[in-house]
Amino acid sequence: MKHAILSCNGLDKPEGSVAREVAIRAATVTASEIICPVLLNRVHARYKKVLSESALIVVDGCSTRCAKKLAAQLEAKVDRWVLVSDAVKASGRQLESTLSLGTDGLALAQTIVAEIVRNLNTPAPTAAREPATAFEVPTEHLVVTHDKFEFRIPVVDYLFNENDVWVRVADGVARVGISDYMQQKLTDISYFDPPVADGAVEQFGELGSLESAKAVFEIISPASGTVAAVNPAVIANPALINEDPYGGGWLVEMKLANWPQDEQVLIDPAAYAEIVKRKAAEE
Amino acid sequence: MSDTTFMGVARDRIPWFPTIDYDKCTFCMECDTFCPHQVFERREGDRKLVVAHPNHCVVFCRACSKTCGPGALSFPNKPEIIALIKQIRGAESVK
Repeated sequence: MKHAILSCNGLDKPEGSVAREVAIRAATVTASEIICPVLLNRVHARYKKVLSESALIVVDGCSTRCAKKLAAQLEAKVDRWVLVSDAVKASGRQLESTLSLGTDGLALAQTIVAEIVRNLNTPAPTAAREPATAFEVPTEHLVVTHDKFEFRIPVVDYLFNENDVWVRVADGVARVGISDYMQQKLTDISYFDPPVADGAVEQFGELGSLESAKAVFEIISPASGTVAAVNPAVIANPALINEDPYGGGWLVEMKLANWPQDEQVLIDPAAYAEIVKRKAAEE
Repeated sequence: MSDTTFMGVARDRIPWFPTIDYDKCTFCMECDTFCPHQVFERREGDRKLVVAHPNHCVVFCRACSKTCGPGALSFPNKPEIIALIKQIRGAESVK
């Protein structure tokens, strides 16, 4: 599938200038069409065809995420997302404070483009065995009711942290996802930013993030270990998390590093139900 | 919310909340609009936004900082907070 590139064009910040440069260079290297965010916002129809035919690469300069929010507002599916300010941090260098790009800004843009191209040529890691019979969808649930809402919690096999993330362990593999309560709170999830494949994660470390029009949710890892797989179905269709948070909407599989110890600070379904009751009442 | 617990530890014993760098903050209020837990409060005067309710902040959540364009919000070191929580839990289980 061909790609289209939408960048933020944040012309009042050095990171925005880098984002613009990345878009221009990446479009050249990948033979993609550039989408002007201003024109897209003004005349949606101008890019309707290209959006329907292309996988969208979004480049934002800063955490305001204007381009990504614009894509969400227009219900355009984001295939890849790059945040320049994160790339600056990861590089350990500082950008020039001028809006015209200097040597550092141009070098950073080049690095980001190379990373985009590398990622396009490297498929995300997928589950080693699919579907794993050990992870059958739960049939029995506790139900917490608040106003018109019902929050389901599987009765067995699942453990939770207090950040609304579950883990389920079978055959030495841990599957991780978010609770029904959290998916309802986020509403329509539009993007899953997965963790780095093969990356080591500590318990309570970050395991990627989810985004909806309403919120950004940092996935707090319930266990320590290594990211073994990312759910390809959820990458392709994040709405699956809303539809089936405990089954097909799982996010990540991990190879556990410290399981008996990590398990001791997790909570069982009944205790998590009490926490959901409290959280729902406080909102 | 200060009477609640996190991992069995009283919330007010866990120093997890955002700090605003007023040299960077533009008072765009994105974070306050975004956070559903009323951690921030808008005020009159030079500092138009303050962290008024730090214990309302969800422990380990840093989502507001991910919406902050100027990068004005920071959080404590997570491994240090995890170590502190485990230390308090350990001490209380001995009692």
